Amino acid sequence: MEINVRTAGDVTVLDLKGNLTLGAGEQKMREVIDELLARGRTKLLLNLAAVPVLDSSGIGAIIKSFTTAKKDGGKLKLLNLSRLARQLLSITGLLSVLEVFDDEASALASF
Amino acid sequence: MQTSSELKITDQFGIQRMLPLDKPVFTIGRNPENDLYLLTPSISRQHAEIVFEDGGYYLVDKASKSGSYVNDQRIDRTLLRHLDRIQLGGDSNVQIQFVDGPSASGLRPPSERATLDMPISDAHATSASDELQKLARFLEVNQAFKSSFTPEDVLRLIVDSAIEMTAAERGFLMLKNEAGELEFKVARDRARNSLPGANFAMSHSVVKRAMRTNRSVIVNDGDASDSGAAGESALRLDLRSIVCIPLARFKMREQMGATSMLKPDVTGILYVDSRLVTGALSKTSLTLLESLAFEASKCLESVRLMHEEKEKEKLEHELAMAHEVQSALLPMMFRQLDYCEVAARSVPCRQVGGDFYDVIALDDGRTAFVLGDVSGKGISAALLAAMAQGGTQAQFSTGLSIAEVITNLNRLIVKRSDANRFITLFCGILDREGNFSYVNAGHNPPILARSDGRLELLSTKSLVLGAFDFAEYEARLTRVEAGDAIVMFSDGVTEAVNASNEMFGDERLERLVRKKAALSAEEIRDRILEEVLTFTRGLPQGDDITLLAIKVKV
Repeated sequence: MEINVRTAGDVTVLDLKGNLTLGAGEQKMREVIDELLARGRTKLLLNLAAVPVLDSSGIGAIIKSFTTAKKDGGKLKLLNLSRLARQLLSITGLLSVLEVFDDEASALASF
Repeated sequence: MQTSSELKITDQFGIQRMLPLDKPVFTIGRNPENDLYLLTPSISRQHAEIVFEDGGYYLVDKASKSGSYVNDQRIDRTLLRHLDRIQLGGDSNVQIQFVDGPSASGLRPPSERATLDMPISDAHATSASDELQKLARFLEVNQAFKSSFTPEDVLRLIVDSAIEMTAAERGFLMLKNEAGELEFKVARDRARNSLPGANFAMSHSVVKRAMRTNRSVIVNDGDASDSGAAGESALRLDLRSIVCIPLARFKMREQMGATSMLKPDVTGILYVDSRLVTGALSKTSLTLLESLAFEASKCLESVRLMHEEKEKEKLEHELAMAHEVQSALLPMMFRQLDYCEVAARSVPCRQVGGDFYDVIALDDGRTAFVLGDVSGKGISAALLAAMAQGGTQAQFSTGLSIAEVITNLNRLIVKRSDANRFITLFCGILDREGNFSYVNAGHNPPILARSDGRLELLSTKSLVLGAFDFAEYEARLTRVEAGDAIVMFSDGVTEAVNASNEMFGDERLERLVRKKAALSAEEIRDRILEEVLTFTRGLPQGDDITLLAIKVKV
């Protein structure tokens, strides 16, 4: 899992590259997000365009990050989900909680 | 032997020692069994002998590769005379001189003897090799029987032996901890007592050098080059003699049938020192010490492997017990109901799984069916599964509605688990009138196969459990009739993969359920599991496979 962190205004965009699955992938994402939250970067946009596989542990990590950001008064939103990832979020009911976007401009504008 | 003829041996450091020729055949070679053994590659294992015959000593070459020389003349067998220089192989580091005893010739000038007083006595050299042999035997026995000696016992013995061999005042064994820092494991004095305290003054520069170079470092008082390199702390401590030997773990690599050694990992050090001038170490003593350190490394490695093995066994035992407990939690037999049949099975991908199911008879005669899947793997997932299963039963016993039960269960799990994990769960209640009310908390929708061949997916698109304390759950109601089948399953079924990395998939499962819906609950379950197994051809799966089939009878 590679994570490129960039800022767009007061929003921090995380471009994830690699599988967001049990073990290294989800752990690394959580570490990076915890670090960003600790530095006061609380508006987070996860770009999943280059995440081919998302499993339940990856979803767990997204939930945990979402919850932590929310506690810190921040927001975590998702960008560019694959069809399977969207299906998984739909089954798990998470589409009703997580905001999901298909283009970056409207995602950034929504914060 | 009434004679006191001796060999005077001078090593490359200029250290001299005397060895008495106190047996009829005195052997010399590279093997440690020899009376004089020299660790020089050019010397053969059994290189030469000095035999006592007819009142004289003869040097006999044992067909050595590199030959034996007396006063630069290659010989096969020759009578030794007082002060003859013996040379073995091409080795010029060690000088050996024959010193005839007074009873043999009486030629030796009295002054000669005085100059031969050694810093390291024969007795000492002998005790060192004895010590090593004793230790090697001990370690062999220890390893062979995997005895109850703790690693600490063995390490203490190694340090004691090192002190004994070097006549040092104290000795330490330090090992790297997980953070890669050296920690004192053993600190001993000459009287074989453990030194109190956790830290001891020592030359850190010597230790660093030994660690960095993976080579033994010897510092002797008066040896300008070594003590200079040893740096400040050796001087400050006013230590006269230090020997520091790295302990290395050798990694073997097997490739193309050949075993080669990789760069060794330095895992710790063996360190002895003395404030007294104990005399410099001879090459032989250093070699002995290095052998000792090598034994220590081997021993540590085998202790480590043994420890890992024991941990693994322990873990496997615990897992086996957890597996038993978990299997007992999942009901195998159901009270047979007059209005429906039930069959279920869970095949964990590891010993314990994160899937669970339950069939709960409610007080009012209705029956609740539960199937859940905890995210993640291992024991912690299994524990959460057990907690959720117990929690569901407890909630149902209070007579709450299904929506309330699931809402409460969610709050319970949010409180009790770290937010990383969540549970997808399907819960349905069937009564004898054919009312089936259900909540789907983020779980793969079960398939309801109508007797006329239509399929319905039972989804309420509600949130997974354990993620958000604000989640509210609502139930849906559907009517079922005799001949209808409901198949609840975990994603391990639809995501089962074969060797071509194809997934079993929703469509294949739906087609199968439609085809088998007329069979009994047990047969539906078995046909689906068989089909999944045929599909995967025994390929180990990454997820638990769980199925619960209900066949409506009235």
